[in-house]
Amino acid sequence: MNRRDAMQRVAFLMGGALSAPTMIAMLEGCKSNTATEAATSGFSFSTDYKNLVSEIAEIIIPKTTTPGAKDAGVGPFIEMMLKDCYNETQQEHFKKGLDNLEETAKKDFGGKKFLELTPEQQTTLLKKFEQMAMAETKENEQPKKIVDNETGLVKDPKTAEPRENEKAKKVVPPVPFFKLMKELTLLGYFTSEAGAKNALAYVAIPGRYEGCVKMTPGQKVWAL
Amino acid sequence: MNIQGKAKEQMTYDAIVVGSGISGGWAAKELCEKGLKVLMLERGRDIKHITGYETAGKNPWDFPHRGKVDNMAREEYWANVRTGYTANEEHRHHFENDKAHPYLEKRSFDWIRGYHVGGRSLMWGRQSYRWNEKDFTANIEDGHGIDWPIRYKDLAPWYSYVETFIGVSGYKEGLDVLPDGNFQPGMEMNCVEKEVRNSVQKKFNGRHVTIGRTAHITAPTQIQTELGRVSCQYQNACMRGCQFGAYFSTQSATLPAANKTGNLTLMADKIVYQVIFDDEKGKAVGVKTIDQNTNEQMDFYSKIIFLNASAINSAWIMMQSKSKTHPNGLGNESDQLGRNIMDHHLAVGASGTFEGMEDMYYYGRRANGVYIPRFTNWGSDKRKDFVRGFGYQGGASREGWGRGNYKEGFGADFKESITTPGQWTFGIGGFGETLPDENNRFTLSADKDKWGLPIVQFDAAWGDNAIKMREAMQNEAAEMLEAAGLKNINSYNDMSKNPGIGIHEMGTARMGRDKKTSVLNANNQVWGASNVFVTDGAAMVSASCVNPSLTYMALTARAADFAVKELKKMNI
Repeated sequence: MNRRDAMQRVAFLMGGALSAPTMIAMLEGCKSNTATEAATSGFSFSTDYKNLVSEIAEIIIPKTTTPGAKDAGVGPFIEMMLKDCYNETQQEHFKKGLDNLEETAKKDFGGKKFLELTPEQQTTLLKKFEQMAMAETKENEQPKKIVDNETGLVKDPKTAEPRENEKAKKVVPPVPFFKLMKELTLLGYFTSEAGAKNALAYVAIPGRYEGCVKMTPGQKVWAL
Repeated sequence: MNIQGKAKEQMTYDAIVVGSGISGGWAAKELCEKGLKVLMLERGRDIKHITGYETAGKNPWDFPHRGKVDNMAREEYWANVRTGYTANEEHRHHFENDKAHPYLEKRSFDWIRGYHVGGRSLMWGRQSYRWNEKDFTANIEDGHGIDWPIRYKDLAPWYSYVETFIGVSGYKEGLDVLPDGNFQPGMEMNCVEKEVRNSVQKKFNGRHVTIGRTAHITAPTQIQTELGRVSCQYQNACMRGCQFGAYFSTQSATLPAANKTGNLTLMADKIVYQVIFDDEKGKAVGVKTIDQNTNEQMDFYSKIIFLNASAINSAWIMMQSKSKTHPNGLGNESDQLGRNIMDHHLAVGASGTFEGMEDMYYYGRRANGVYIPRFTNWGSDKRKDFVRGFGYQGGASREGWGRGNYKEGFGADFKESITTPGQWTFGIGGFGETLPDENNRFTLSADKDKWGLPIVQFDAAWGDNAIKMREAMQNEAAEMLEAAGLKNINSYNDMSKNPGIGIHEMGTARMGRDKKTSVLNANNQVWGASNVFVTDGAAMVSASCVNPSLTYMALTARAADFAVKELKKMNI
């Protein structure tokens, strides 16, 4: 379990009282260092990529007995989130991920586009990308380099004095393509009305608290 | 604007309260109820109870970014983003835009503000603990800072008085370290929290796990019902403002109580930047304000003044209040004004998973957790490395869909698997006491804000005692979780946070026993300006490790009582 994981488990303890969306924001908050650039950027997907992102989201969270990612508008949500909440480096990294997916589809499956593949082929390809994302994450979780803004020297974070960090900023690598694709799909789906009300147990105003309740068959996770 | 005669009369009140947050609301209520005509001045906008809570009752999908911080907000709320939650989309509008209200940092400080009617009482953590007897003698015993001029017994009746009015839910535990109060029924612990409570109390002599004592009403009294307050509905969206008035805030409780008397005048948008001191009379006569929207300057006059502008801003006003009698700022003969900034250090603790209880869940969103009171340097527990101690806040829950982010897979089965309750996890995070240190301070910089007022510059850092304490906070957390039978224990100690992260600023105009070492006396009167009272976090002489707001409220009620008695005796 990494630190972020541990923080997630105790995040709601700060002040005793952070709501689920707050916790998510706290842990998954945008990692932009150059807000102005990104805030004014005209980021958008081509029509092809809009469709591609919607389809990948639907493969991650398909329609079953409950609505799927498309029903919840996850495709447009991801595009909007990338535009509004992420920096240019992350936006470009994500687009490169989509480029790479199309190139790999062509290479592995006789020149076909991702959307022309069979569902099995699409799954195979996405599994490959999930493995790549996991490897990239592992690489990123190696002790982060700390670069002193003034001297340009790289420091070992283990020996850097805590106060020294003020002058230095951490080099935060972009979130791997598939990892971010999946995170935004889950966020977009489970916080949507379609997802929260159908796939989860949603109660807007519980009215009371009971600490120990026997689960009923088919009990879903609380949406909040 | 120089106002004379009748016009000046219209600007004159019995008392002026500067600030409408948790302590300002109390000052206004108490003074109004004692028959004084009170003017409460708030620098920010007005927010009306219920109708003014823009995001209350909204669903997650009503927020375009589902709660996340967008790039524009990240830039505007540059200090708030450091907390990881205050810049959040759902309640960001209750926190200050740091770009519009800049401050400077010689050494970093997280200054998280709420400039509006209600101040931070609208977004506070609501955890409400009494200080214990030793908290008031800690400074004199271990030699850090100066002695408190009061003791627990001086404040105890006022704690009871405040608790009864605001409504605090909790369990009575009979502990010296965490004195019981006048509680409404405490919230229930969930199954795993109960297990941990039993294990910890059995395996560690003198350690306790109780439910968080929180200012949410669970069995409203008649007074609370008359104010329009309703029991907690377990939405856990408190920082947006509560439509039920279930948690204590200025809006839900002290403001309607003050309004009931017919003695209150509330003015929003008035930035108080100076106390007017009359050298001939030897006392303060009023305050200078500037309107945040129109820049209009207005002076208001009164017999007594309560400064409740928050620790930093009350001291900021006093620094700008120079006169022949007070050449270094109001009550600042000691040069302690703006010094000794304290906070609680956090982001250290442990978490783990609990095996079993798979058929058990909970209902409702309890905006509260469990509390483990201080046990270090208490009773027979003696630490070589550090003085004082820390408490933990924590809790258990079952994992939700968020675990999908860390789990391999996608598709129908994956979707199904993360929509059922996951394993139980339990975690605790520490809140540690910091020591008063003269070198932790803020000053007025030469830079001016958009109203031409001096911008605050911070210069503060965690002390060695806190850094050493954190090792214990991390290790003890892991040990207790292990003893409680938790698995996959992960402990952490995040040293990247700055002072201020606890949003418990204290100490910038401390109470004391003489004017050579302190700014306020035992009744929160400013030395040399006895009709000016400071009863917010600025007054604190030490920090304890428990959340401070309840103590600010008790100090305020006590000082208001004293002030009115003195006024009647014509002493001030």
